[in-house]
Amino acid sequence: MTTTPWHLDETLAGRYAGGTLGAVLTASVEQHLTACASCRALLTPHVDAPRLDAVWADVLERVERPRRSLLERGLSRSGVDDATARLVAAAPSLRGAWVTGTTLVLALALVAAYVATNGVGLYLALAPLMPMAGVALAYGPMSDPAHEMVAATPYSPLRLLALRTAFVVATTLAPAALAGLFLPGSPYLAVVWLLPALALTVGTVALSTRVAPHLAAAALAVAWLTVSLRALAPRRDPLLATSSPVLLVCTVVLVAATAFLYARRRDLAELLRRTA
Amino acid sequence: MTTTVEATGLVKAYGRRHALAGLDLAARTGVTGLLGPNGAGKTTLLRILATVLPTDAGHLRLLGHDPHEPTGRRHVRRRLGYLPQDAGFHRGFTAFEAVDYVAVLKEHTRTRARHDEVRRVLDLVGLGDVATTKVRALSGGMRQRLGLAQALLGSPELLVLDEPTVGLDPEQRMRFRDLVSEAGRGRTVILSTHQTEDVAAVCSEVVVVTGGRSVFTGTPAELAQVAAGRVWVDDDKDPRAVAGWRVGAGHYHHVGDPPAGAELVDPTIEDAYLLLLGPRAGAGMGEVA
Repeated sequence: MTTTPWHLDETLAGRYAGGTLGAVLTASVEQHLTACASCRALLTPHVDAPRLDAVWADVLERVERPRRSLLERGLSRSGVDDATARLVAAAPSLRGAWVTGTTLVLALALVAAYVATNGVGLYLALAPLMPMAGVALAYGPMSDPAHEMVAATPYSPLRLLALRTAFVVATTLAPAALAGLFLPGSPYLAVVWLLPALALTVGTVALSTRVAPHLAAAALAVAWLTVSLRALAPRRDPLLATSSPVLLVCTVVLVAATAFLYARRRDLAELLRRTA
Repeated sequence: MTTTVEATGLVKAYGRRHALAGLDLAARTGVTGLLGPNGAGKTTLLRILATVLPTDAGHLRLLGHDPHEPTGRRHVRRRLGYLPQDAGFHRGFTAFEAVDYVAVLKEHTRTRARHDEVRRVLDLVGLGDVATTKVRALSGGMRQRLGLAQALLGSPELLVLDEPTVGLDPEQRMRFRDLVSEAGRGRTVILSTHQTEDVAAVCSEVVVVTGGRSVFTGTPAELAQVAAGRVWVDDDKDPRAVAGWRVGAGHYHHVGDPPAGAELVDPTIEDAYLLLLGPRAGAGMGEVA
């Protein structure tokens, strides 16, 4: 197929660039422009460069704008601004793998509670560790490969830690609380492990002012498991983790750690940054 | 030309080892290069200048603020760009997301303006085309440039770059030097390197650091002059030279105190650097005195 030699003139180019050409003529000009370099050159001076840049930036914004994860979209929908949602989502403990892992551990512990002797003791030993591990992983060099750059930004490390802690605790508590409802025995068991969970989590943050967060969490986990796993021994009380002495110690740890964090609230950010 | 970084008598110790032992530094608008061997204290110094590490003793002012004081520190961080030695990113992020994440922490809160700024810095370092590529799929050189991109966010007045040319191929290095020279107009850039060519190419000021102290401060030309009259060539290797190595067809290039009647040649920055560091400098170089 051949085409008649037809080209744009100044008037037509001006009207096309200004958007005042009718739909039919516009379509025809566009068709021609894709094939004709000289007419494209003629059109160039008529084009409003800033407007073209803006259009191009809009195109890029659509193409390059990060595809937001399910978590980020969920956060945005619940009123969290998108910048904050991004910071929260950058923590690995908030990623899908973590949530899946936690749920799996809890589900297994729940099965153990039904089938194994003293199995409920396993559940009560493991559940309180979940939010604590999440918090330890949510902050510091272990969790954020960009931590050195992050440390040089004006964003408050304390705010970052608080944000992530809040979200980790919320996302871990939900499956744990749900699983707790299905525990055999007293309904009291579904909530009683929350006290050690809270003590371990706040204790980890307090200890993180002295040592790296993952070390703080590991130390507390070892201490907790040393006590709570004894419930698995034959002829032991499977509900050892919920016995009065254990809960009393947890309360003391929780109160002490909270008081310490409150007392050091002014330089807390700096203390945490140095160990992280 | 105002002084933007003022440091006197900086001390930083890790246990008994002194990484900085009373270091002095003054940097102003332009590019200041820190030249020194590994373990000289360059990274420690840059981490202190980036407000990531506190000093044990000494006087420090950055952009007119005291970084040891919380408010001062925040003011500095708002006007600071920092490329650490091991600039890591979440491997699952795209190049765009990785820089966007830092931009959020740098208080770019308005989404659209932040995204435009992220695109601007990615274009600056030549990564505009791989914005949607995952970090794990980028080459080492690209990741290094990604690190530089995040440092350039918000056009900071103080740019701290730790060994920015490591991992770059010759072409990228050229491009990078252009970028740094450009960045050095109207702001303060402090970079560390052990490449004397980097210094010659981009630095308006050079500080030679060794053993936690600065042993020279001046222009690259002044640095080269330190070795004036102390560089000579000979057919045989001179064991009394501070350093000597084989060049071209059988000649030996020597730095040190020349013997009488030696054939003197024009000194380079490298000659002066080796002279300043003394015999220790050539320890890893093979053919040395």
